Amino acid sequence: MRKNIAVIFGGKSAEHDISIITAHVPIIDSLLVNGKFDVWPVYIAKGGSWYADKAMNNLAFFKQDAWEEKVAKMKKIGLLFDNGLELVWPGLLSKKVKIDIVFPAMHGTYGEDGSLMGLLRMAGAPFVGCDLAASAVAMDKVLTKQVVAAEGMPVVPYVWFTRTEWKEDKETVLTKAKTLSMPVFVKPVHLGSSIGMTRVKNEKELLNAIEVALHYDDKVLVENAVEPLIEITLPIMGNDKPRVAECERPLNKTEFFDFNDKYLANGKKSEGSGANSAYSEVPANIDDDLSNKVKELGVRVYKALGCAGIARVDFLIRADTKEMYVNEVNTLPGSLYHHNWKKAGVSNMELVLELVRLAEDRFVRQKETTYTFHSDILQKVGSSGKVGLKV
Amino acid sequence: MNNKRQTVNGAKRWLSRRHWNYIRSLVYMLQASEYIIVDFLKWHERVKDFRFVEKRKHLTFTPKTVILFTLGWIVLLATLSGAVFVFYTIASPWNYLLAALLVFEAPLIAMVSLLFFVICMRFAQYPVEQFFIARTKKHLIAHRGIKIAIAGSFGKTSMREVLKAVLSEGRKVAAPGESYNTPLSIARFVKELKGDEDVLIFELGEYYPGDVRKLAQMVRPEWGIITGVNEAHLEKFGVLKNTTDTVFELAESVDASRLYVNGESELARARSKGGNILYTRSGTEEWQVKNPNTDLSGITFTLLKNGVSINVHSSVCGLHVLGPLSAAVHIASRLGLASHEISDGIAKTKPFAHRLEPKQWPDGVTFIDDSYNGNPDGARAAIEFLASLQGRRFYVTPGLVEAGLRIKEVHEEIGKQLAKAGIEKVVLIRTSVASYMESGLQAGDFKGEILRYDDMPSALAALRALALPGDVILIQNDWPDQYA
Repeated sequence: MRKNIAVIFGGKSAEHDISIITAHVPIIDSLLVNGKFDVWPVYIAKGGSWYADKAMNNLAFFKQDAWEEKVAKMKKIGLLFDNGLELVWPGLLSKKVKIDIVFPAMHGTYGEDGSLMGLLRMAGAPFVGCDLAASAVAMDKVLTKQVVAAEGMPVVPYVWFTRTEWKEDKETVLTKAKTLSMPVFVKPVHLGSSIGMTRVKNEKELLNAIEVALHYDDKVLVENAVEPLIEITLPIMGNDKPRVAECERPLNKTEFFDFNDKYLANGKKSEGSGANSAYSEVPANIDDDLSNKVKELGVRVYKALGCAGIARVDFLIRADTKEMYVNEVNTLPGSLYHHNWKKAGVSNMELVLELVRLAEDRFVRQKETTYTFHSDILQKVGSSGKVGLKV
Repeated sequence: MNNKRQTVNGAKRWLSRRHWNYIRSLVYMLQASEYIIVDFLKWHERVKDFRFVEKRKHLTFTPKTVILFTLGWIVLLATLSGAVFVFYTIASPWNYLLAALLVFEAPLIAMVSLLFFVICMRFAQYPVEQFFIARTKKHLIAHRGIKIAIAGSFGKTSMREVLKAVLSEGRKVAAPGESYNTPLSIARFVKELKGDEDVLIFELGEYYPGDVRKLAQMVRPEWGIITGVNEAHLEKFGVLKNTTDTVFELAESVDASRLYVNGESELARARSKGGNILYTRSGTEEWQVKNPNTDLSGITFTLLKNGVSINVHSSVCGLHVLGPLSAAVHIASRLGLASHEISDGIAKTKPFAHRLEPKQWPDGVTFIDDSYNGNPDGARAAIEFLASLQGRRFYVTPGLVEAGLRIKEVHEEIGKQLAKAGIEKVVLIRTSVASYMESGLQAGDFKGEILRYDDMPSALAALRALALPGDVILIQNDWPDQYA
């Protein structure tokens, strides 16, 4: 009996198109050829409508002209949370499909920030990847730094503030920011892919950079630039016993460019290459000692944030002193960073199936936790609503 | 359960013959079968769903296929119109019966009409073909170039390309491209010759007894090469003796001292006569091959003759190419090419398209395309080459076609060879011969893993998901639509 697996992608996010790629390469492609799953591609349009049609199992569907119009003509689906997750096609010829497991493949807002995970938790459906809390913390660069620092791990000096604080008292915010040494980076807290990020060399540029960042987000991070810089990124997989892939050195940080250029502009490359494969060095050309430290620290960060399934931890390293800082955590690396996992000896199929196994394993353990209990509180409540209990 | 499936399949086939795509499918099948009616009918019998016969290739619209396509539709529509006519003009109840018969059997009537038309065309073509053959003979008699003909069950195209590359260093050589090995395709090639060519190379195709003789009489070669005899096309020849007889029809047209025979092919060697020149991977009587080495970059070896040695490199992969290279060198030498010309010629030989052609996937996987190689000797060479490479090795095959009565032995042997070679992963396509290969693998105590897929596209998709950098994947043979 084949399991019904729903791969959820698209969504109301700036990374909508990237999500389509991740969903197909390697997730849907591997699940389909494995033959043990009935794969339901669940696409969330930019407007928020949900669709599930097996024609969307083929990446070519999203490369054809006017594919969005074709999607709009499909029957929208609804969700039922009766004893798990069910996809429902309403109407005269209504249909329901019980989903056994979900593979979220949504980047950014509503997907990677924990929103989708919350929905799936409510549904009581097992799902692949990090849970709600880890996703939400990792989505917020400041929260990530706070957790990491609280666990005694190194982060670059930083300050943060909200849009309200900026509007009410710019001087105090600027005074806080000036405690850092130039150059600094100003970043929107919740966005990835360098959107709204500026490198600031002097105080004059700082003001403008903050305005730019606040245009994209209501919370802004200002942090010291690490120079001379070696950036290292490390994919990690697992629940309680995480395993690491190879240290990777990005040679071009613009992930958007990578995906658009490598997958959508050139169909051939999508067959085999992964995100950043031509724009990164895997394994990174750093000495073994540094590589081992990165891997050790990566696992600590992964555990501290409560990651599960898969994540990618990014590091900033001073090239001259080899001082290492945790930069950020990505709970759904583009295309699962399958190009890196392959270098680490994990094929696409093994990667995807292992993530499914980890999700099922976590779900079984979660079931052991009791979330409800029988009480007679309703019988005890009086007409005033006072129970006499401290709740 | 099986009965139910058979009923469903039967219903699907019946309905698909009534699909609007049926006429197109018939024309495509005729074209892909090269208008050989027996082959077409065998294929027609096997098809489960006529909507999807164009899988690997598609119908090419030529004047012939346009006529057939139009005719098919005219017959179909005329039959349906006839049904209406019958319904209103003939008395009940015969009008119901006849009209229903015409409606339901309109596809059959269309198919029979197409076949009848193909037969008529063949009769009409015969005098045209004879005219072209006569004209070609005349052209070739007048042509000053040396004619070399290649016959054999396998390896003709590779031999042609090797010979062409080697001789081209010192001579002006012309050879038909693709697999031009029928009277009309050769006639077309000869018509385009300029007349100043020094050497002309021809492939002589063999499907039925007499084919090679007919072509040899047309080409009148001074030199001949027999690349070997094996089970390829055995379905048409019935027994290997018939294949051998047909291939050796070339010997009737060539002086024994100018006939080269592949000494590695047991049947060819056994039929060779005194005076013929045998070639193997060790070389020929005159030219000895020493220190051969092969990898993905090609083949490197030393040629020795009377104390003279030439170090050569070819980017063609596999030690099995040493035989054809030796034959080409021997011929080149007899035609007066200098050692450096021979060496330069060998250096210019390149991997042949879809025949042990190495490619690199972007993720560091080596992919060897051997999809046009569909004979037992080719399979043996492919396994031998794959076994010589480093990394985790995948051998992907649907098996061979047209092995006739020896189909079981041939595939069991492939299985045994794979087991002996220590290939790590054997990927089998679920064809009618897969079980024979599995038997061979078991008999050979295969230690690796067997993966099974329904068709080649599924297997390739799976391999993309399974492969790791450093893996080597060899695709050996890809069945054309008529066998898939």
